[in-house]
Amino acid sequence: MEELGKPVCVIVNKGFVPDAKSAASGKGMPSARIISSPVIPNCTIEEEIDAGITSVIEDIIAGLTKPLTDEERTPSPKKADNARIIFNGTLKEVNRFFYKRGWTDGLPVVPPTEEEVAEMLSGTDLPPDHVVAKLVPRNANMTVERIAINAVMAGALPTYMPVLIAAVEILMEPYVYFGQFGVSAGAFAPMWFLNGPIRHDLHVNCKAGILSPGDIANSGIGRALSLIIKNIAGIRKGVEDMGVMGNVGKIGMVVGENEEESPWDPLHVDHGFERDDSCITVHFMDNSQVITPYHTDDNGILRVLCDNIPPGRQLVYTIMFNAETARILSTRGWSKKDVREYICEYARVPAYQHRVWERVFTEASPNPWGLRRQQMPIDPYETVRKIPNPDWLRILVAGGPLSSMGIYGGDHFDVQKWCTKKIQLPANWNKLVAKYKNVQHNYAFY
Amino acid sequence: MPQPEAQSMYEVLSPWAETDPVPLKGISERLKSLEGMTIGLHADNKPAAVPILKVVKKRLQERYPTVKFTHFQTKLIDEIDRYPEVRERFVEWAKGVDAVVGAVGD
Repeated sequence: MEELGKPVCVIVNKGFVPDAKSAASGKGMPSARIISSPVIPNCTIEEEIDAGITSVIEDIIAGLTKPLTDEERTPSPKKADNARIIFNGTLKEVNRFFYKRGWTDGLPVVPPTEEEVAEMLSGTDLPPDHVVAKLVPRNANMTVERIAINAVMAGALPTYMPVLIAAVEILMEPYVYFGQFGVSAGAFAPMWFLNGPIRHDLHVNCKAGILSPGDIANSGIGRALSLIIKNIAGIRKGVEDMGVMGNVGKIGMVVGENEEESPWDPLHVDHGFERDDSCITVHFMDNSQVITPYHTDDNGILRVLCDNIPPGRQLVYTIMFNAETARILSTRGWSKKDVREYICEYARVPAYQHRVWERVFTEASPNPWGLRRQQMPIDPYETVRKIPNPDWLRILVAGGPLSSMGIYGGDHFDVQKWCTKKIQLPANWNKLVAKYKNVQHNYAFY
Repeated sequence: MPQPEAQSMYEVLSPWAETDPVPLKGISERLKSLEGMTIGLHADNKPAAVPILKVVKKRLQERYPTVKFTHFQTKLIDEIDRYPEVRERFVEWAKGVDAVVGAVGD
């Protein structure tokens, strides 16, 4: 609008002001006039909205009429600190320096020296200055070298580089909506799924404690991506990342699918890839629960899933079955498609308990479920689906023995477009894998 | 007395990526007064945006009885950037206003 020569001011909640400033600055308009409002996000209380907006009406008028300052008319460029070598010090000093700059996740990092970064770069055939992506909001050059620097800091191995590069490419896909999920007040964390032979090459955990720390591949890849999002995409907690409660998964969540023990095709095959392709998939997750079947038969497994999918959300759900539970379902004739269709049909609540009930009848705001008045029952006790269609469910097999299953709710746009990429391996992959193959833990029994 | 070992020093590279220089743009000249102007009220897709702009309209009307209003609401996140037809409609709408108040409903 400003580019069209129209004066603009934008009202945002006070908590969003830093985010709005970063977004405007990233688009080259650092002086955009942003009105800090006390109205709580998504407020539905008319008196609060009236009082809040009335309290800033003078700011709104000034936003449109107060003459420009020289800086607003011709913003001066910020001095960029583009030094490649940024610091020299002891381990402790490097960590303090990085922490004070806001470049860590709060935990110590491995110092990214020339030597360490060069070793990390051996994990890819791409040149260090190759720009893999430019991610919002900062739109910085995500070069292979910067990815490697952050990977070193995370304690990653060079063999993780192809995974990191593919992951970043996924975030560039418009239908992934990284610009929304990466910064959302809902605190969505990227949950990365790995498929194909690379799981074995890297010793990716696919079984017990799949989401617990302790495996260098799962933790190192997840942490590296977390630092990349922070230091290259420029999404910092409380500044650009508006997650109200945050999400412990933002430190990094990587799941390998237990393909060998799954009775079904793995996730990447569902998404059109060959079984021998190594692939990565993302799901932005903001809530999770682990549940145990009512009984170990198919009835007990599916009923507990139907009952525990929350009614008040509008999310896509990834269901992680452990291999035993998946086997039971499969031997009793259930395909993944059957499971998805069953849950979609029978995960129901009375209409009055459904989030959309209120929206359809009380609000003019857009309804992401696409339900209209005529599709909702008049009788509030008549049941409606919690999941609008089977495409809102993803299924994979992972985790340890026993019967628990995981339900992970998250991203909800363009649900029919899967966010899976094939991981491109460097020419010397086998040699590289052999070099790091012995980096794995062995717990001693006591 | 044993001497403390000299601590290793680490010369480290920056993890903070460079940005290409973005051409900086100033904002548009402001209006001298809102009197008699047409104000565009632009709501995003979040529930509070429209009610916020209703209050803006009410308060501005009280202050400037001759001010006129026109509305535009985006129904999806990033709709204007993603969909050329929406952008076209938005630009057409914007041509007919003297200034814009935008509301982000969350």
